[in-house]
Amino acid sequence: MFYPDMIFNNLMIVAIGGAFLTYILGKITPDLRNAFAVLVSLLLMVMVASLYGLEKELVYFGFFDYPLIFKINALSWLFAISITVLSTLSILFSLNYMKDKSKLDLYYMMMLLINASMLGIVLSGDLISFYVFWEIMSWSIFILISYERGSALAAGLKYIIISLVGSLCMLVGIIAIFSHYNTFNISQIAAFMTSAPSGLTIFVLIMFCIGFGIKNGLMPLHVWVPSAYSESPSPFTAVLSGMLAKMGTFGFLMLFYIMIGWRVFFYLGQGIFSFHYILCIIAAITIVIPNFIAVLQDDAKKLLAWSSIGQCGYIILGIVYGTSMGLAGGVFHFFNHAIFKAMLFLAVGAVEFRTNGVRDLNSLGGLANKMPLTFIATLIGACGLIGIPLTNGFVSKWLIYKTLILNGSPVLAFAALLGTWGSFLAIYKLLHNIFLGQISETHRNVKNAPFSMQLPMLILGVLTIVFGVLPGLPLNIINRIGVSLGFESLDITLWGIVSETGTLNTINIFAAIVALLFLVYILFRTGTKSTLVSQDNSYAAGSYIPEGKYHYTVDFYNPFLRMVKPWLKDSIDQFYMQIAKTSEKVAELIRRIYTGDVGYYVIYIMLFLAVLICIQFIWMPW
Amino acid sequence: MGAAAYILTPIIGLIVGIFFMGLFRIMMARIHWRYGPPLTQPIIDIIKLLFQKSVSHGIIFELGLFFSLAGSVVTLYFVPIGNICPLKISGGLLVVLYLMLIAPMGIALSGGGGANPNISIGISRKMLLALSYEVPFLLIILTLMVHYRTISLVDLVNFQRTSGWAIISLPIAGIAYLLILPAMLGIRPFEIAEAPQEIASGLKVEYSGKLLALYYIEHAFRRFLVIALFVNLFLGGAGEPFTFLLKMLIVFVLGVFVNAVFPRFRIEQAIRFNWTWPTILALAGLIITYMWGGHG
Repeated sequence: MFYPDMIFNNLMIVAIGGAFLTYILGKITPDLRNAFAVLVSLLLMVMVASLYGLEKELVYFGFFDYPLIFKINALSWLFAISITVLSTLSILFSLNYMKDKSKLDLYYMMMLLINASMLGIVLSGDLISFYVFWEIMSWSIFILISYERGSALAAGLKYIIISLVGSLCMLVGIIAIFSHYNTFNISQIAAFMTSAPSGLTIFVLIMFCIGFGIKNGLMPLHVWVPSAYSESPSPFTAVLSGMLAKMGTFGFLMLFYIMIGWRVFFYLGQGIFSFHYILCIIAAITIVIPNFIAVLQDDAKKLLAWSSIGQCGYIILGIVYGTSMGLAGGVFHFFNHAIFKAMLFLAVGAVEFRTNGVRDLNSLGGLANKMPLTFIATLIGACGLIGIPLTNGFVSKWLIYKTLILNGSPVLAFAALLGTWGSFLAIYKLLHNIFLGQISETHRNVKNAPFSMQLPMLILGVLTIVFGVLPGLPLNIINRIGVSLGFESLDITLWGIVSETGTLNTINIFAAIVALLFLVYILFRTGTKSTLVSQDNSYAAGSYIPEGKYHYTVDFYNPFLRMVKPWLKDSIDQFYMQIAKTSEKVAELIRRIYTGDVGYYVIYIMLFLAVLICIQFIWMPW
Repeated sequence: MGAAAYILTPIIGLIVGIFFMGLFRIMMARIHWRYGPPLTQPIIDIIKLLFQKSVSHGIIFELGLFFSLAGSVVTLYFVPIGNICPLKISGGLLVVLYLMLIAPMGIALSGGGGANPNISIGISRKMLLALSYEVPFLLIILTLMVHYRTISLVDLVNFQRTSGWAIISLPIAGIAYLLILPAMLGIRPFEIAEAPQEIASGLKVEYSGKLLALYYIEHAFRRFLVIALFVNLFLGGAGEPFTFLLKMLIVFVLGVFVNAVFPRFRIEQAIRFNWTWPTILALAGLIITYMWGGHG
């Protein structure tokens, strides 16, 4: 017997209480703490799953006259279930990955606290709770990014400074709304905003967009992402890329379609200078440039980080474009990206774990036979990322492209399609350099990843394929979200989308590929059996192939890189660093004023008074 | 049609693809003032190879090849051959674009199973070449889809049959497509990924026996697919298979002439070429179409 109301009322208590209890249990015994952490995350997953279809508001605290509210609807449910599933899997993965690290009590507490704060964000019904949970999340991320100290600390500092700017912008936006309408309740604000002056609307939009764009890694605000992703512990990176960055996506959805309302949002400005078109262009830039910068990377996690920024571009483009198909594509792509990108980060984490922390793509290679399941997971993840049919990534990209083309935005569609090629080259480089080619001498004895690390990858891999062949399962929920936000309903079947302008049917693609693979296999089995020879036994057309490892995957795309490298510098990062340096210099100058000598201070006060008196004499303002 | 089309399509693709391979060799020989092999030589080769001893580097080496062959045939199901098109309502041209990625990815995976440096150079060149022609190709495809306001390949063919071939109504995009066609077919001057004299045929250097036979079959399908796509997109397709195949033959023969007279580019030169003239033309075509507004 389920009591969804009761479960909903206690959800956040379990989430936050569980996090702190984990820390306390860790002081008693590590095994108990690990078991408890997994149990809490599992319990949360089951609790959220049982809330499917519930629509409810709950006032949990009266803050002066402003009640703090939790509420759940289709949109929050989709995000909540993704959060809980992903965090369960990553905690499961952590059990072995983090085994030999120190301060594990803090680690598990922070993982669960992040989980709780994300749940808080997606469930909050007023801006105070939203902001409080947003800040808890931001600070917990900082602790986990800089968990391993050293260069991780620098990455964490970079993140927190940029994140603070975002939070402050958001706070200014919240205050602006509050000073106009004297309420924090999102549904009340939504009612007011339909008739708000456009100056206020634009101000609020820009302020919130900066906050959410920073979390999401939108192009000019992405600079914290590469270093933060590559330095943080891999299971956390999976959550960071899969869900935490997507809190920005949730924020955008809430801002555009709940708080401001799409009727207002689409009619701000004219033509190319309208607010939503500018955002579309930013998203398109975010697709193209990061996906090609990813091709240049030699660090496995940096490559995935850049590619994550690029994929976020697709999500935002779909959401902002604002057709019901685009919205469905964007939200579905968020969901898919959470699945396959988390899987890729976990796979890279597993390789890192077994090779003692090697992430440099040029020194890995040939691990496919040593870690077959990790290889398959990476392969499926790569197919999802590229968007090869029969993976979930294809369906969401198809939706986005289709709406872009049929609504006459070929430039945006071109950017989106070109980004696919960037991700293809980048992810193939990752796949090839880690798993294919020659194995290096030091990795001859690498073992398969332990079961607790394989299981999360296996689950995510299966989900990637299942949602690719039967996209109707998640799309039905996403369609409900679209309808609740005021869009037309799409005609969704279990294996695709029916429409007059082009129907997608994944099941017969699936059937055809399976049948053909079977046929090819049969064709292959006829005739003589092939002899298995070692990898080094190669034909070289009479030339000499050197003994040992000649790592030819180094500089895989060199001819291309020589051509495009000058164009793909991360000049935005340099720009921010320049700002940081300049402000440091200014601060240094200001510090010189404070000499510590009281005499100087007296002179300053006198000078200040003199200036004031001069002003009074000349302009007489007082 | 129905179920028969599922069987008919690969058979047509295979026969025509292999016929093209034979035709290619004999035409090249005649242009070079040689006598050349008989037209049936590729068939003899493939049958012979299927029963010869083969050497394999393990499961990835074989599986990659299977995937690429299955991928090529599945893509063919989406491309109408005259009126034969088994999967015409399953997502249209966008699916074709993505399915076409399976074949190179499969071959590349397979090559990664071996440790021959020539394969690696071949993979790297093939990927880069694909990137270089894909930029104008995407622009051209978008031009078509925006002009006719559809993403369905069958609809594109039908529109052309009522309102004239796309190469006439969209000449700039058509010329751009003709310029990248040799690169898509992998013939000279864009024979970079295979380059027998430089990197010992690159990708296929380690295949032998049945694996080589499968590679040849895949190659035949792929060549068929690329030409069939061009005929459908710009030459108006056809109402029945015979006319369609005739159009394909003409395009192919033109390709052989190009192949016969040009030397091979280096990869940088190929990228630079594909990113200048074809891209400029394709972009111009797209802008003109976009300004003019859609067609239907």
